[in-house]
Amino acid sequence: MHELVLRVAAGIFGIAFAAWLALAVTILVERARYDRLRGEESGGVRNPREARRLIQRAGRPARTKRATWRRIAALDRLVRAGDPSVRGLLRTALSDPNDEVAAAGVRALAEVGDDWAVDMLLDALREGRVPRSRVASQLEHLAPLPGTRLVPLLRDSDPAVRFWGATLLAPYPGLADARLVMMAHDRDPNVRAAAVETLGVRDTDSARAAILASIDDPVWYVRVHAARSAGHLLGAAAAPSLVRLLADTRWWVRTAAKDALRGIGPDAVPSLLSTLTDEDVFARNGAAEVLQDIGFVDSLASDRPDSPLLERIYAAGGEHMRAAAEQRIARQERGGTEVRAA
Amino acid sequence: MTGENVLSVVVVLCLCYLVVTTLVALAFVIVGAVENAFRKLEDESTDYSTLGASRFTVPVSVIVAAYNEERVIESTVRSLLDFDYPEFEVVVVNDGSSDGTLERLKDSFGLEPYQVFVRHVFESQPIRSVYRSADYPNLVLVDKENGGKADSWNAGLNVVRYRYVCGVDADTVFDRRALLKVMRVAVQDPARTLGVTSQITTARDPERAISAKPGRRVVERGPLAVYQHLDFVRAFVNNRLAWSKLGFMLCAPGGFQIWRRDVLEEVGGYSTSFTCEDIELTFRVHETFLREGRDYEIYCLPDSIGVTESPDTYSKLIAQRERWQRVIDETVVHYRRMWFNRRYKSVGLVGAPFYLVSEVISPAIEMVALVALVAAVALGLFAFPTFLLVLGAMAFTNAALTAAAILLDDVQSRLYRKRDLARLLAYAPFDVVVYRPIMFWARIKGTWRYLRRDKGWYKFERNVRPAT
Repeated sequence: MHELVLRVAAGIFGIAFAAWLALAVTILVERARYDRLRGEESGGVRNPREARRLIQRAGRPARTKRATWRRIAALDRLVRAGDPSVRGLLRTALSDPNDEVAAAGVRALAEVGDDWAVDMLLDALREGRVPRSRVASQLEHLAPLPGTRLVPLLRDSDPAVRFWGATLLAPYPGLADARLVMMAHDRDPNVRAAAVETLGVRDTDSARAAILASIDDPVWYVRVHAARSAGHLLGAAAAPSLVRLLADTRWWVRTAAKDALRGIGPDAVPSLLSTLTDEDVFARNGAAEVLQDIGFVDSLASDRPDSPLLERIYAAGGEHMRAAAEQRIARQERGGTEVRAA
Repeated sequence: MTGENVLSVVVVLCLCYLVVTTLVALAFVIVGAVENAFRKLEDESTDYSTLGASRFTVPVSVIVAAYNEERVIESTVRSLLDFDYPEFEVVVVNDGSSDGTLERLKDSFGLEPYQVFVRHVFESQPIRSVYRSADYPNLVLVDKENGGKADSWNAGLNVVRYRYVCGVDADTVFDRRALLKVMRVAVQDPARTLGVTSQITTARDPERAISAKPGRRVVERGPLAVYQHLDFVRAFVNNRLAWSKLGFMLCAPGGFQIWRRDVLEEVGGYSTSFTCEDIELTFRVHETFLREGRDYEIYCLPDSIGVTESPDTYSKLIAQRERWQRVIDETVVHYRRMWFNRRYKSVGLVGAPFYLVSEVISPAIEMVALVALVAAVALGLFAFPTFLLVLGAMAFTNAALTAAAILLDDVQSRLYRKRDLARLLAYAPFDVVVYRPIMFWARIKGTWRYLRRDKGWYKFERNVRPAT
């Protein structure tokens, strides 16, 4: 038995020691080689032979995960080097059954960035093989921006494409306004949400009317976008509609309404005060919270601490609100005293 | 059969256990190497500049639970607020600290109390107050009654606004691109990606380690620091990468874990019934989704995204590791229905049994092996040189696996200095005699406390930082 243990242990020791030594040498030598090459490596293609090898690799279907990413790396290097073969390779990549290769093609197209690349990206958006959010991210960071070439997306039969068309048009004021207003009444709620969001940065009467109408949309996330857009575009005029959303059944809608009312600021106060006596507790809480956040509570607590209005707000917001306000005021007063003392 | 024969058989069985666990570890290294290579290529091909600037990148809520973290909390929160990510919020939950954590946060970030009406989806101790800052609009401080880390994270989940939540530890400082690096995987397939984590390294003083020199990974001096560093590298690179690839990533560590909020809602949030919450939550998510036959992924990435505080004394290290052992025991035993159960696929057939054998049972096997080997030498059954040879075999087997982890980590990151690589490699063979006995003792202690149903946290004192 002792003999057996001795032999096995000696065998394991020999193999393990050799493995450790070999790995240690490999790590140090390989690292030294990497440091030496790092200065020379430009990420481009060094010679025609390497270019041929990369082209072959970038065009060859990959069967394993590793081969897939080697293919993608080859494609990236060819694009960075501006190799003339990239257009064909990118076209192949975009139609490749492997989603990761197609996604890499989208990324590389953004780097090419010319008219042909924009067309290819728009096609990729229509086809939806690659997550459309990834394609949209690339389209939004192109220079020059694709602008008018996005408009046909709004007429696509696929609602997902219309959604992205409406979303991507946000940075282009004046472009396809009428169409976007129509899309605020699209049968697909995602499209309506996107249209309403984009209309939030279009200062036209029809946009305002469409947004206000969307505040009562039956789908909750359309109401969320409508609340944000209304706060941004309509300001105080939207406050009476927004306070209604404080009583919405959905937390997201109530939160969006509160954000919008905070953004409107002091102009929203009359509408908020009228909500303090609402029969819905969420509406009362929300109104008090917004009044606190825009500084109205602090102003009252500091100037007219005995005001009945302040008591009404505290009644709607709860004892925590009173305590928090008193702490803030005390802190401000301490700060003021310190400044005066200094 | 004589006593000596029994002893011989026991020694041989223990050696067989060693060989089998080494072969399994070797298999994980090979799978991990393939995963590492693919993740490296993926990382190089990712367009971080677009991802980091796009309004379409999924926003993330970061939750940090803090209990008596006065010394470290400010630097942790600053590192979180400094994330290079298009849209995120940081929710700090003060878990009823008895030191100056709350005051430190209020003073450092100009936080003031506000009444905020939050959702009550997850059970937690009552919230005392919510603080916000005019200077840091994406920072929220929640002050609540003490209830433990899991309870704090649940309170934070009630406050957060975004679809993905990232739970982090208060003693961990992060790289600016940590969120971008990890979310690159989630944004590729948000429907199937439930959770993601990534590699964390250790240092006695994480703030200094991460700010020492951009693009360089600091390996601190001293055996305790080096061995903990090697331990973390092995755990992430040799084990978790392979588990991730094979579909049984069973521990998204509390130091940095990203989850889809709706998934946490579905499984009921973090559990306060266990000593720690991270590994249990990961087991629970796997259990729920596999039981219902749903398609999903939980990933671990090789990218080093942060530095966590490592205990700087042996007693602190033992306290930490015995707690880890306890929570592994609690979790693996609690989910025993998954062991060798085909319904739970690779988690049931490989992951959970692996934990059972290599973590739950192994302290007992190691104890038997130690006693048997010492008795065998003392009784003259084995000559002392044989004992040394067995020890040497164990030492270099372990060193070879460690070297493999260092190789993969360096190929992935290229952040080590050459002299640090040499130092790590030189320390590796002595792990078995310097570090393992401490781990062995901690695991025995943890197992003992588990058997006594002890669920105390035994939080160790934070390391003392040099004055800056």
